[in-house]
Amino acid sequence: MVDIDAMFSDLLGEMDLLTQSLEQEVAPPKSLPALPSADKEVNFSIGFSDLNESLGELEDNDLDALMADLMADLNATEEKLAAEIEELKVPSLPPANLPAPKNLSIHPASSITSPPSASPAGSSSTLASSSLPPPPPQSVKPTTEEMEAQMKADKIKLALEKLKEAKVKKLVVKVMMNDGSSKTLMVDERQNVREVLDNMFEKTHCDCNVDWSLCETNPELQLERAFEDHENLVDLLSTWMRDSENKVLFQERKEKNEVFKNPQNFYLWKKDKKALKDIKDKDKGLLIQENFCGTSIIVPDLEGILHLKEDGKKSWKQRLFQLRASGIYYVPKGKTKSSRDLVCFVQFDNVNVYYSKDYKSKYKAPTDFCFVLKHPQIQKESQYIKYLCCDDAWTLNLWVTGIRIAKYGVALHENFKTAEQKAATSSAWANRSTSSSSNSSTPSPTIKAKSSSQANGIFPKPGPAPQDFGDLPPPPPLAANILPPPPPEPGLPPPPPPPPPQAAKGSAKPAPPKRQMPANFPPPPTAMDNLPPPPPPPPIDNSEAPPDFLPPPPPASGFGSFPPPPPLNSLPPPPRPGGFGGMDQSLPPPPPDPEFLPPPPPPPQAVFTGGGAPPPPPPPPPPPAAAAPSTAIPRVGLRPAGSLKKLPPAPPKRTTPSMQGSGGGGGGDFMSELMLAMQKKRGDHPPAVLASGT
Amino acid sequence: MAAWDLSVIVEDLGPDALPVTLSVMSDLHIGGVILKLVEKTQMKRDWSDHALWWEQKQQWLLRTAWSLEKYGIHADARLLFMPQHKPLKLGLPNGITLRLQVSFSSPVFQTVMEICRMLNIRHPEELSLLQPVEEKKKKKDKDVAPEIYDLTEVPLSSVSRPCLYNGMPAHFADSAEMEAIYKMLSVTQPPPAPEAIAKQYRPASVVDKAHINGRWLDSSRCLMQQGIQKDDKLWLRFKYFAFYDIDPKYDVVRLTQLYEQARWAILLEDIDCTEEEMMLFGALQYHISKVSQSEPQMLTTSAAMDDLESALQSLEVKMEGESSSASELLENITAPELNDYLKIFRPKRLTLKGYKQYWFKFQDTSISYFKSKEESIGEPIQQINLKGCEVAPDVNVAAQKFLIRLRIPAPEGMNEVYLRCENEQQYAEWMAACRLASKGKSRVDSSYKSEIQNIRSFLAMQKTNSGSHGNAPASDESINTHSLVSPRYHKKYKPKQLAPRILDAYQNVAHLSLTEAVMHFLRTWQALPDFGLSYVVVRFKGSRKDEVLGIAQNRLIRIDLGVGDVVKTWRYNNMKQWNVNWDIRQMAIEFEGNVNIAFSCVTADCKIVHEFIGGYIFMSTRSREKSDTLNEELFYKLTGGHEAL
Repeated sequence: MVDIDAMFSDLLGEMDLLTQSLEQEVAPPKSLPALPSADKEVNFSIGFSDLNESLGELEDNDLDALMADLMADLNATEEKLAAEIEELKVPSLPPANLPAPKNLSIHPASSITSPPSASPAGSSSTLASSSLPPPPPQSVKPTTEEMEAQMKADKIKLALEKLKEAKVKKLVVKVMMNDGSSKTLMVDERQNVREVLDNMFEKTHCDCNVDWSLCETNPELQLERAFEDHENLVDLLSTWMRDSENKVLFQERKEKNEVFKNPQNFYLWKKDKKALKDIKDKDKGLLIQENFCGTSIIVPDLEGILHLKEDGKKSWKQRLFQLRASGIYYVPKGKTKSSRDLVCFVQFDNVNVYYSKDYKSKYKAPTDFCFVLKHPQIQKESQYIKYLCCDDAWTLNLWVTGIRIAKYGVALHENFKTAEQKAATSSAWANRSTSSSSNSSTPSPTIKAKSSSQANGIFPKPGPAPQDFGDLPPPPPLAANILPPPPPEPGLPPPPPPPPPQAAKGSAKPAPPKRQMPANFPPPPTAMDNLPPPPPPPPIDNSEAPPDFLPPPPPASGFGSFPPPPPLNSLPPPPRPGGFGGMDQSLPPPPPDPEFLPPPPPPPQAVFTGGGAPPPPPPPPPPPAAAAPSTAIPRVGLRPAGSLKKLPPAPPKRTTPSMQGSGGGGGGDFMSELMLAMQKKRGDHPPAVLASGT
Repeated sequence: MAAWDLSVIVEDLGPDALPVTLSVMSDLHIGGVILKLVEKTQMKRDWSDHALWWEQKQQWLLRTAWSLEKYGIHADARLLFMPQHKPLKLGLPNGITLRLQVSFSSPVFQTVMEICRMLNIRHPEELSLLQPVEEKKKKKDKDVAPEIYDLTEVPLSSVSRPCLYNGMPAHFADSAEMEAIYKMLSVTQPPPAPEAIAKQYRPASVVDKAHINGRWLDSSRCLMQQGIQKDDKLWLRFKYFAFYDIDPKYDVVRLTQLYEQARWAILLEDIDCTEEEMMLFGALQYHISKVSQSEPQMLTTSAAMDDLESALQSLEVKMEGESSSASELLENITAPELNDYLKIFRPKRLTLKGYKQYWFKFQDTSISYFKSKEESIGEPIQQINLKGCEVAPDVNVAAQKFLIRLRIPAPEGMNEVYLRCENEQQYAEWMAACRLASKGKSRVDSSYKSEIQNIRSFLAMQKTNSGSHGNAPASDESINTHSLVSPRYHKKYKPKQLAPRILDAYQNVAHLSLTEAVMHFLRTWQALPDFGLSYVVVRFKGSRKDEVLGIAQNRLIRIDLGVGDVVKTWRYNNMKQWNVNWDIRQMAIEFEGNVNIAFSCVTADCKIVHEFIGGYIFMSTRSREKSDTLNEELFYKLTGGHEAL
């Protein structure tokens, strides 16, 4: 058994490595295309869909890039493919170079746009480039350009395999931003909201303050609620209907942690408001101490008259309600307020609390300050939904917050502390340099790396980075800290989402953008130049080699792991990023395995089609199928990608080549969906892509 | 200086013996008096614990270097020569009574520390002694004198005592009897008989609750000074509801006694709760008593031992697993089939059809039903996933009604479905499966069997209790549900009506270990709005009516007796100072913002109120100094008043 386990884990590790390398390689190209088409992407993505993509393994940024690529013109992809093919045929140095630069460029871009979000690979690469002698990585790439394509394909296959193995459910979630734009990211079923938020921090360039929340809206019921950071996002979204109009928003919500910032407003609400304003920080701390840090959580003693919408009626009736740790109670007519006479209105085990919108007109509520208690699975009007109406916003906030405290207890406080740490580290980094922020994010991944790597295989980079360090030891870390400069980020705005696999395909295209990017980043170019010398590293054996390096990374990779707050706080994080960068550099080389080269192009497509689909994807037929699926993509409702539940035997080997050929079946769903999406966006280009692939 | 005669009563000579008369001079120090006295009695024994007690002044003469003159003792003084430690009957929160030697000469604060050291209770500052409430019906129960467990042989010690590997103090390991006593201290008592609850004094109002607080002893004076005699009975209770640093590993006795005190507070409605909360408390009591009976060692063993045990257990399981063949393994992994004919009814559909019989199949977390067993290979008529659903029982054993009510969440709302089972066995299996499925667990889960067992034992409760009004003493198989709730619910519900409600609450706690369950109970208790309030009837300065002052860990509240509402809250962190005018027995407190309040105390001495407030402030200082040693001096300073020190 042990042997088998060991072998299994080895396999996983290898896969991670491969995927990492793939990502890295892929990411760059993607990024290039992505930049241009970023806006389009937004439009493209629908609420959210579950794609069992190998993409899952990719970082968020990469994913974005992927999406962007998809969105991008098919023509471009075609061209790329052609270019790639050519490259493959003749390992042309330029292309190789291009990829590398791309990576670099991407990184900067990412860092710039969203310092924190910077894709691990990207960030690492940037760091590496800046701090480390860029040359090595680049050099590697050039040699392996051809390989890249193959590698990509391989990676995709591997990713798919991994997904199967992990039997981890993943969703592709489209998160709406305040400005109407959106970000798309892959969420795996073990990630909690905090981890997803951290990913969002990396993707956006927000200030990471504690108010940032993921919220769900239900347009049909006109409800919304901020998810709690400890909740599991996939579980939450799984309660939505397939054709749900619900949306996930990324926004700042003051009320989320208000109770920890101004506990007096909740625990001393009876006092006059002026006195509450003047309360000293020390007393606030004491209140938190008393109510959240004792053996038992104390729920604010709320009591007051609320309007209750009666079951199935339009009228609202006043009742005297009381909040207790065990639920909401009301005082029956003619009875006293004594505990024993209270009638239980609702207990919190099976309900969530939601803010309502515009209930005055929807339900003739006395005011618009209503909240709702309902089972999360209820998505439409029902007699099982409880509607309560408060007199003013202040009271509403008191009640909703009080209910949250009663329902979630100490978890709220833990969430706040984690968020605070995150905010502190990111701001600290921000001060130092944007790049730092990205670094911080990366560190966390490392912590969780293992789990994530297994599941997602997404962040392999981190792992590798460390190893790279080994190679380039000191520089990276220091560089990261020191080299805030990598910040080239500033220059690059958010758009940079790198194109994923496609990028690989269309590697040709990416190249140019990459170069441009490099331009921005002095280091990258240098890297390019250097490329020749160091290059050798990864080349042939990359697949295997990477694994070795990669192993360590997994920890880092931990997708959702950003949390690693502790590291964040401390300076350490930066170094890691540097490491990453190193990683990237080192990693890149491997991909290029010559062997794979030829296959890669086709594989990608095949992968897409088959890869996504866990077991028996629906309409996975390779290329052609992809086209068909396009229609399916639009729906994007929640589809648990996860058919992956069962453990797959031995994930596939990392040698993707073979996989590429046959692989389509496995990951097909995801791929096909992607393809479809692309088609949709573009119109009819898909065929071309397919063709190129095949 | 002239010699004069000092007469001293020596307790050891017997109650009828004449006082011993000594010829002394005023400059003779107390040590000398004692020496003379001992010589004169001609008794050979250990006198080291003996000291002189001055009766008129109610004072121990403990400073042996002081002269008679310095103490102001003259020939008319009535002095007693007696041991400082005497036996005392001590009623513990769990209702058992101990007899042990305690100091009658040191301040009660120290006496409590001494007792807690002996009983292995950490943080003795949270406890104190109080005069017991007289038992109600003395005549009827005279013959059944409660058993008293004697600990008077335990040698006294001023240092903390060594503990055995399992947390039991070494002095309890001396004999089987002692070990039995320790078990009493550290293992929760079985639920009391309902009559025992009904018999006890229950405060009916906040004023009643206030009276108990007039009984606390003064911590800064000794027992002798407070009129406590040898072999009197006192209660040991948690007085300050600020439980510091509870650690199940070291606080076995403390936790157990705290749980018992909380349990009785709930049962006697010393603290109010809602019906739902009462059911949860009932469920937890049921669970705790069940678990502590089945594995009585749990609370007493240290965490390390638990770890070891569980490790051993899992090892066993592994070995078994490995030795068994693959097919056996498979069997273990796949749940046995659960199929049967059941009747289903959907109350929401306004049909008069009633229950219809189908062939039901339980798979994973879903149930499917088919027209008949023969058709069960095909597509089911419907498949219902129970994950996230609400499961409620509707059972009447006497009427042979075994109904499972399911509320299944769907986007449109909750779908209600009733499943009717034919008999107990079928009901228990399906009910258990439904409950697990609602939590997303399949019957493969290890808790399935115990869930069935739980359901059956609750059914058994209904049986044994139907009819008789619960006179049967609590046995392990069937606990009278009236033992788990306050008498109010004895009137409201019959035991068999209570059973399903408690079972309902029990679902959520059935998986807890003993320690977790105890902690859950305590947390739920502490989350009650009125938790930690000690009431005193007071009269505010300038007010003509009595009001109630509630003293809590962090605040004072003023309750209007007419309305029964909290009319004002003052927090300690805003308090600038408080003073006691001992002459007019009035407390005056000043808060920030020029808020001054003053009141006199009606149901308790103002010293008690003073000590409560000072005590809580003392408790709040503990977190800062992590050292184990108590700052006794600070305690006296905060609680003692002008008489102290």
